[in-house]
Amino acid sequence: MTQHTPQLAEVHPRVLVIDDSEDVHRLLRVRLKNEELILDASLDGPAGLAAAKDNPPALILLDLDMPGMHGFEVLRRLKEDAKTQAIPVIVLSGNCSSEDKVAAFDLGAVDYVGKPFEFTELRVRVRSALRLQRLMQMLSQRAQIDGLTGLWNRAFFDQRWLEEYARCVRHGHALSVALFDIDHFKAVNDTFGHPAGDEVLQGVARILRQECRQTDLACRFGGEEFVLVLPDTDSEEAARLAERVRHAVEEAIWPRHPTHRVTISIGIAGASGSTKVSEAEWVEAADRNLYAAKRSGRNRVIATDVTLGITTLTRKSA
Amino acid sequence: MTTPTPHTPLRSSLAGDPDMAELVDMFLEELPQRLTVLTTAVDTGDIETLRRLAHQLKGAAGGYGFDPIGKAAGSLEALLKASGDASQSQLSSMAGSIADLKTLCERALLGRTH
Repeated sequence: MTQHTPQLAEVHPRVLVIDDSEDVHRLLRVRLKNEELILDASLDGPAGLAAAKDNPPALILLDLDMPGMHGFEVLRRLKEDAKTQAIPVIVLSGNCSSEDKVAAFDLGAVDYVGKPFEFTELRVRVRSALRLQRLMQMLSQRAQIDGLTGLWNRAFFDQRWLEEYARCVRHGHALSVALFDIDHFKAVNDTFGHPAGDEVLQGVARILRQECRQTDLACRFGGEEFVLVLPDTDSEEAARLAERVRHAVEEAIWPRHPTHRVTISIGIAGASGSTKVSEAEWVEAADRNLYAAKRSGRNRVIATDVTLGITTLTRKSA
Repeated sequence: MTTPTPHTPLRSSLAGDPDMAELVDMFLEELPQRLTVLTTAVDTGDIETLRRLAHQLKGAAGGYGFDPIGKAAGSLEALLKASGDASQSQLSSMAGSIADLKTLCERALLGRTH
């Protein structure tokens, strides 16, 4: 799944089974083999938690009575961790007391299946949980996508920027953020009408998507502003990518106003490694560069390395 | 209807299911080892191992088409749970339940096709 083109998860959902009984894993592999899903197996709670965190599955089937860590403790930890809390969990248990069922649902399980299970029943319950999970995912992804351009929206940027910033600080990876603003956008709207303005927004979004790599994150920041998060990319490299976008936008011919070209200004703040700059100051630095690009004549890229304070001004087109 | 004796083979209710044949064979291949663990656990008074074995058989045997084994394991597990910290002496009160489970496992082994 690429990050700049939001998509639904893989075609075959992965289901993680956490059960200490090798028999259960074997039986499920055979009984669910026609379900078009990928089964992962963990034989105890800690291994299951690690697997769920490492590569979050679409659904977890969780046994309760396991040596070491009880299933309820596994469930509690799954629901505590932001990375795993949204994964639906079906509890499998040989104990069908009402107390256990209530406790399981209270802890956040979506379903409870008694052991020994009737496989036809388990199959339909797995299907139902996966269907629900897919709908939930669709809804939450809708809420993160900008309707007009299909890029990620501001809320998604805010969340992911914090994550990428934390990663950069922790591991010392390079990271850049680039703010894009369409020059004189209001004039396009006023002169050619809002449909023409929308077409420009969609066109710039398309160019951003084309120039992005899989790991880059293209978002609509608001109005006629876009933002790119570029992991493992220093300010110089980010400036080269931004320059390609700037050039492509400048060259584009717009069907509704073929003689009226559109340009964009770009402000970039990047770091080649860990930095003391806060995540807010970082975006502010990019915004200051965008403002400077606008003030100095538009249609240009200005980039700063926040660790060094070096500003690179790339060429303004003729 | 004949009453099953210890010598009547117990066959998997899923023996005719082609998807399951291999798994049933595998279960039967591993059953003697489980029986050994069961016997040793009883002899040494290893309640925890006995409880785990009963628990796993309760959950799994039915899945392989051996419902009677699953039910017998379930009864034994219930007895073990009810007695809490069962001691060696209390184990003797479960001798009947343990013997039932063993007999069923042995009958399942008699039913092996090869």
